[in-house]
Amino acid sequence: MVGNAVVMGVSLLVWGLLFYYLVRLERRVSELEKK
Amino acid sequence: MPSDGLNSRAAVWAILRKECRSEWRTRYGLNASLLFALTSLTGVSFAVGRLSDRTDILSALLWIVLLFSALASLSHTFVREVEGRTLTLLRLVASPTAIGLGKLLFNLLFLLVIEVVTVPLFLTLMAAPGPRWPAFLGVLGAGSVALAAAATVVGAIISQTRGRGALFAGAAFPVLLPVLAAAVSGTRAQWSGGAVGPELRLLCAYAVALLAASLLLYDHLWED
Amino acid sequence: MVLRGSLLLWIAGWMVAAFLWAPLVPVLGETTRVLYFHIPVAWVTVFALAWSMVHSLLYLRRRNMEHDHHAMAAAEIGLLFCVAATVSGSLWAKAMWGSYWNWDPRETSIFFLLLVYAAYLALRGAIDQDERRARLSAVYSATAFVAVPFLMFVVPRIYFTLHPDPLINPRGKIDMDPRIRVVFFALLAGFTALYFWILSVRVRVARLERRSQEA
Repeated sequence: MVGNAVVMGVSLLVWGLLFYYLVRLERRVSELEKK
Repeated sequence: MPSDGLNSRAAVWAILRKECRSEWRTRYGLNASLLFALTSLTGVSFAVGRLSDRTDILSALLWIVLLFSALASLSHTFVREVEGRTLTLLRLVASPTAIGLGKLLFNLLFLLVIEVVTVPLFLTLMAAPGPRWPAFLGVLGAGSVALAAAATVVGAIISQTRGRGALFAGAAFPVLLPVLAAAVSGTRAQWSGGAVGPELRLLCAYAVALLAASLLLYDHLWED
Repeated sequence: MVLRGSLLLWIAGWMVAAFLWAPLVPVLGETTRVLYFHIPVAWVTVFALAWSMVHSLLYLRRRNMEHDHHAMAAAEIGLLFCVAATVSGSLWAKAMWGSYWNWDPRETSIFFLLLVYAAYLALRGAIDQDERRARLSAVYSATAFVAVPFLMFVVPRIYFTLHPDPLINPRGKIDMDPRIRVVFFALLAGFTALYFWILSVRVRVARLERRSQEA
């Protein structure tokens, strides 16, 4: 039970970090495009 | 602009003869390739010894030796052209398709020469059981055509890049994987008494498909 | 921004559902949840390959650099997803059958895709000029495209005879329970959307690179 919760938590965390990285990357790209 | 003067079949034949002549003049490529094939064969035989009972391993080893020999040798025709700067001249005289076909036939001939030396030696050194010759030669032939077809088109691509032998091997291997798998399976089947029909059909179909694709693609390969 | 937010919630939400709501597949036990990741990722890797190859062919026909951007971007993303699929599949195989790699048909196919992606990107790396790089890699892509169906035919034949132990196909049993099916298809859609998002970003970067080169 606990194992499951841990794996779920880690997965959500990884996904969150990936998402955050992608959003920041896209922001940088948008800025560069405006120049 | 490619050829009005030389019609396609004559162009292919002329290219084939030219390749054979240049190869025969120096024989460097052929010697090196034969040496490589014999070296890998010796290495295998030395490491493994006699394998009369394991025809599955024998089949795999035979085709690995052939595959590596092909990877080591078959890009030479194009590399020679690029390094000798003769490619532009060639393209003035013949269409890309004719060049591709001529090179393919040469590569096939080259591969067959290597096989004529390597295969009997392999069968002897490894104490292989007697093959069912029609089936065995059928798989060998179909596999060789597919090998040559893939190697020729990939060689043509690689010759225009910075990469050389290692990149050629790396790029050719995925395209050659179906050949390896079907040829090994077919060779094993003829030794264990099964039918080689499916593998033969697959090898022939693959060779034809590669040939057709490459003939369409050669026009795109040499444009500048 | 709304779209991205919804994708975040969509995937996160269905991930939670995968752990807390969907039942386990009896054969798979606790490893059931790998399938919600592994199969969609493998699907995307195949989809990306098709995308890349189609754009390679389009480039050869139309000579529009946009197609080359897409071919390259799809290949890079496909490679990443392919590594993820291979690793997750290998770990799953270890948990299920005790060994990391077996050369069974599916594993061989995914490995083959890995080789194709790697070769394509290595080839691109060896060419400096834009136009030549686009053209030659497109020709290679078209050649590899011929290899793919033949490999699909060949591999099951070969490895059935070499490895007769039938490795259980989990996929057959999975889509039985509707809850599993819902979560699975939801995450499949989510990962596909993720692919398109990353693709668009990568293509935009490629355009920027090209613009800065021309300047």
